[in-house]
Amino acid sequence: MNHILSLLVFFPALAAVLGFVVNKENIRVYGIAVAAIEFVLSLFLWFMFDPSNGGFQFVEFIPLIPDYGINYQLGVDGISLFIIILSTFITLIGLISLTIEKNVKNMIISLLFLEMTMVGVFVALDAIVFYVFWELSLVPMLYIIGYWGSELRIYAAIKFFLYTFFGSLIMLVGMLFLAYLYYLATGTISFSIPDWHRLILPYDYQFWLFLAFFMGMAIKVPMFPFHTWLPYAHGQAPTIGSVILAAVLLKMGTYGFVRFSLPIFPDASVALIGPIAILAVIMVIYTAMVAYAQEDMKQVIAYSSISHMGVIVLGTFAMNVEGIAGSVFLMISHGIVSGALFMLVGNIYDRKHTKKLSEFGGLAAVMPKYALIFGIMTMASVGLPLTIGFVGEFLSLMGFYKISPALTFLGGMSIILGAAYMLRLYKLTFFGPITKEENKKLPDLNWKELTSLIPLVLVVIWLGINPNPVLKPINKSVENLLTLMEKKAITPKAKEILGHNKVELEAK
Amino acid sequence: MITLTHYLVLSAILFSIALVGVLRRKNLLMLFFATEIALNAINIAFAAISKYYGDLTGQMFAFFVIAIAASEVAVGLGLLIIWYKRRGTIDLDSLQTMHG
Amino acid sequence: MEKYVLIALFAPLVGSLFAGAYAMKPKRLITGIVTSALLFVSFVSSLILLFDLLKTEEAVRVKLFDWITTGSLNIPFGFVADQVSVIMMVTVTLVSTLVHVYSIGYMEHDKGFNRFFSYLSAFVFSMLVLVMSDNFAGLFIGWEGVGLCSWLLIGFWYYKKDEPKEVNPSISPSWAANEAFIMNRIADLGMLIGLFIIYWHIGSLDYNVVFAHVNLLDIAIITMMGIFLFIGAMGKSAQFPLHTWLADAMEGPTPVSALIHAATMVTAGVYLVVRSFPIYSQIPNIGFYIAALGAFVAVFAASMALVNTDLKRIIAYSTLSQLGYMFVAAGLGAYWVALFHLMTHAFFKALLFLGAGNVMHAMNDELNIFKMGGLYKVMRWTAIFMIIASLALSGIYPFAGFFSKDKILEVAFDAQHYILWFMLWVGAGMTAFYSFRLIMLVFFGEERYKKYGFHPHEAHWYMLAAMAPLALLAIVAGFFEEPFEEFVTQLLPEYHVHIHGILAVALIGLTTLIALSGIALAVYKYSHGGFSPKWKETFIYKLLYNQYYIPVLYEKLFIEPYKELSKIAWKELDLRIVDATVDFIAGIIYKSGFAGRVVQSGNLSKMLRWMVIGLLILLVLVIVYSPVR
Repeated sequence: MNHILSLLVFFPALAAVLGFVVNKENIRVYGIAVAAIEFVLSLFLWFMFDPSNGGFQFVEFIPLIPDYGINYQLGVDGISLFIIILSTFITLIGLISLTIEKNVKNMIISLLFLEMTMVGVFVALDAIVFYVFWELSLVPMLYIIGYWGSELRIYAAIKFFLYTFFGSLIMLVGMLFLAYLYYLATGTISFSIPDWHRLILPYDYQFWLFLAFFMGMAIKVPMFPFHTWLPYAHGQAPTIGSVILAAVLLKMGTYGFVRFSLPIFPDASVALIGPIAILAVIMVIYTAMVAYAQEDMKQVIAYSSISHMGVIVLGTFAMNVEGIAGSVFLMISHGIVSGALFMLVGNIYDRKHTKKLSEFGGLAAVMPKYALIFGIMTMASVGLPLTIGFVGEFLSLMGFYKISPALTFLGGMSIILGAAYMLRLYKLTFFGPITKEENKKLPDLNWKELTSLIPLVLVVIWLGINPNPVLKPINKSVENLLTLMEKKAITPKAKEILGHNKVELEAK
Repeated sequence: MITLTHYLVLSAILFSIALVGVLRRKNLLMLFFATEIALNAINIAFAAISKYYGDLTGQMFAFFVIAIAASEVAVGLGLLIIWYKRRGTIDLDSLQTMHG
Repeated sequence: MEKYVLIALFAPLVGSLFAGAYAMKPKRLITGIVTSALLFVSFVSSLILLFDLLKTEEAVRVKLFDWITTGSLNIPFGFVADQVSVIMMVTVTLVSTLVHVYSIGYMEHDKGFNRFFSYLSAFVFSMLVLVMSDNFAGLFIGWEGVGLCSWLLIGFWYYKKDEPKEVNPSISPSWAANEAFIMNRIADLGMLIGLFIIYWHIGSLDYNVVFAHVNLLDIAIITMMGIFLFIGAMGKSAQFPLHTWLADAMEGPTPVSALIHAATMVTAGVYLVVRSFPIYSQIPNIGFYIAALGAFVAVFAASMALVNTDLKRIIAYSTLSQLGYMFVAAGLGAYWVALFHLMTHAFFKALLFLGAGNVMHAMNDELNIFKMGGLYKVMRWTAIFMIIASLALSGIYPFAGFFSKDKILEVAFDAQHYILWFMLWVGAGMTAFYSFRLIMLVFFGEERYKKYGFHPHEAHWYMLAAMAPLALLAIVAGFFEEPFEEFVTQLLPEYHVHIHGILAVALIGLTTLIALSGIALAVYKYSHGGFSPKWKETFIYKLLYNQYYIPVLYEKLFIEPYKELSKIAWKELDLRIVDATVDFIAGIIYKSGFAGRVVQSGNLSKMLRWMVIGLLILLVLVIVYSPVR
């Protein structure tokens, strides 16, 4: 079991290659089987994971180009563990719910390939390996949007690709420069992330490097004002594309913040809390408003994703255990909830071939099961306690309160505006009389759709009631991260904030 | 007294003439002539500088250039003739197949 | 005793899940019976806890498992049955058991019968979580849970369509449900901020820890805590300016109005203030503002009830007004009085609503009281019950309201806030008037319903039987004032009224006087044909009838601008500016590509020209930057 991570990364890719020889009738079963094995493997990883250890576990190391410090180095900690499980879980669920008929073989192969890149990004401990997977993930997505999408698919696919690619190139420059700085400091080049974590950089370098990494991450998240590729990508992508995009690919950005920006540039991160938090708050409020105005179901959820990602960013830059652990948890919960919502929109799209809100109304009467599951996901999305959505949102906002009460208040508008757009969506879709004659005969969810949705519902409620199995490993790693940052901090402001990120009972 | 400068000026004048030829002429044959002139201009410079420094490398290089120019003309003229047979013209603009 | 805590808490949940299993199937009577029975179990457990607590004076605490653990935050699922929560538990489970039984009859022809009981029991569960939690986070779970159930139940008849505001001021059940949810969310944000303040200054959300340490904190911080928690309370208890949802919530089935929007959920805000008394007793200034707001709402809401013609809305405004009374008591530090009024109010207001439900049933869901009248003849028991409830509401001796409401007025007078006292006194008069206006118009006088072709009938015997205990309590609950005080002040601070003797008697006399004159005025006026139609033309009537135009104001001030702004944000800002900028930058790159394409024409002579130009530029550069000179 020394190579479980490599197995996790390359098993789907290998299976994808083998998929070319599987015949068309069996490819669905094949895909589901592969994804299921992969999911079980990731669960096994969780089982083997030692939650009391906050460092990297299952580390693998194979030298690739040792002269330039590029090595095949993998490992997981509490932060990445659950995002990996999320990736495998969502891929499995997505494959089960897959309804595409056109060229389904290519779709499944692309999905398995995509799974490799997703897992690869989250287990990579070498910046170059990370970067390779990061960029590779664009390719299957480009194909999925560009081939199976709707009318504007080419525009959307190219926009998605070029926009995110542009950001990551800037990040690559940052990585190369960072490796060079590492060389200057130690005499050897290294792209190893744990090595970089130990590097203490002068503030000016930190600042510019932070910005370089920020470009790559922010476009991926996507942060305002770099978010406009997302509505197009979601609007045009097939259901499965949106599910994976929202559930996992966006998380790469915020994961990058936690993995790179915070520990490598602690002073710059602290110094830039203000501007980033303002961007995040704008993101929360502004996209929530835009979501309210949408006329298309899927676009509402697309914009709501951006809004929730804003809360995640706030939590990430809270600089305390509560906030960062909350934001990591919110990444997972948002992955589940937005994935489920996109799948639900897909279900209705399969029936009606439209996502226009004006085409619906009163569906609760004809599709009660659908309405129930949609309702549960709506409530999880607005962050009702005892659903998965509450824990992360609560902790993220609570964490950021320590930094700035005013911005937390504005960021907290997400719970009001989120309720506004989600309930509007729900009302327009499910409530009121049935206005369209053809909607009266819509069939309720079938067993296939239910098998893909019920696990999500169970997870939403289970982790809402008992989030601790997930939170505990996250906590441990986040504590490590913060200790590291505090040790590295050089500017007085960073020392001040990182040194006082715990509850202090101040007497009168 | 003819100094190095005179040779270099001659070389420069010849090169300029060749350059103008390259730029202005549309006939491929004329282009060949122009390139030959340019090469010979360089040859003069090579030989003169070689004499000036008393270093034979320059003259050696001049021979190389002559040899290469000769082979180039041989191949080039061959291609030219084939082209002429195909198209009936050796005008430069007729060579264009891309559309910028 | 722990097991009784758990039984009391989880029995409703089991019932809800049981009924929920049948939610998509046709009506099964069993769902109603099982949920009611389980609630009765819960009620009995609560009673056992109450008697145990009376005996031992020892709160029962149960910890299930940890909910959220991170950093120094540790939130367990912890429940406590102490003096305050037991009172709430008994009230909640008693009223909800009766409402469940009543609903079996009320909802008998509804196709969502099973679903209804599932929601209703889920509500009781959430409400119990709210009152039994031993920490603020648990309270917030229940807080949001009741919000969800309230959303589900207000929008229970989701299939009704949106009407213009002139036809139905609440537009539609689903609209009202969303309004209630979103408005509550506004307050919840305040509450969340309150929790954050508590956490970051105390490091725990556990009541015991928080209340033990709160007096160590700076007064400014306690003030902020108090303000933000109260914002939360304002939403749930529908205090001005977050009050409009409560009247619209009457779109839900009437048992829902009785249980949620009168007896239990809306009092959660009062419960929060009472529960957080160690915070509020540190900050009497804020307490005074709470009391002032309460007094304002008491009069404000009562004034709207004076002219409304909608049976349920009148009672809803009355609820609002009574919540104001409770906040006056809580704000002035008389926490046990607030809790006492909360309890008695739950009994008689639920009774009033259930009576209204009977009337609605009899009248085929007609709500306009001017289309009723003379119903006493056909609905004697309902009428008697509603009169009892109205007498209790008006504060007439010996009904329950007399004891609790009078106490609040005494408190206001005693605290020397004479203006507040005066407002409450006026409010008491209004209360008496609108209550008996309703009684007169519905049960007595001309039988106007005949004109509209209604055939009213009395409700089922078991519905009446479910109301009977409430009626009994509405009469006798007041006599338990002293044991009640003794019991809850084991936990809550005592409040001593310093008024004695002649002054106290005078105050009671004054209050009873205005209540009686309110009743007399209503009875006299409406047995003599009511007010002249000219009254309807006056500005004041219109102002009151249109709820001071506040819903319209909100519509114009918040909802419509928000819709417009959203549209602008999307169509103008997002598509025209942000996205267009990105596309513009991409466009420049594309265009420069097109422009640069001429270079690669494939024409040899042109390429040679480019080459020469490049050569010359290089030569020039060499000459200019030549290091040797």
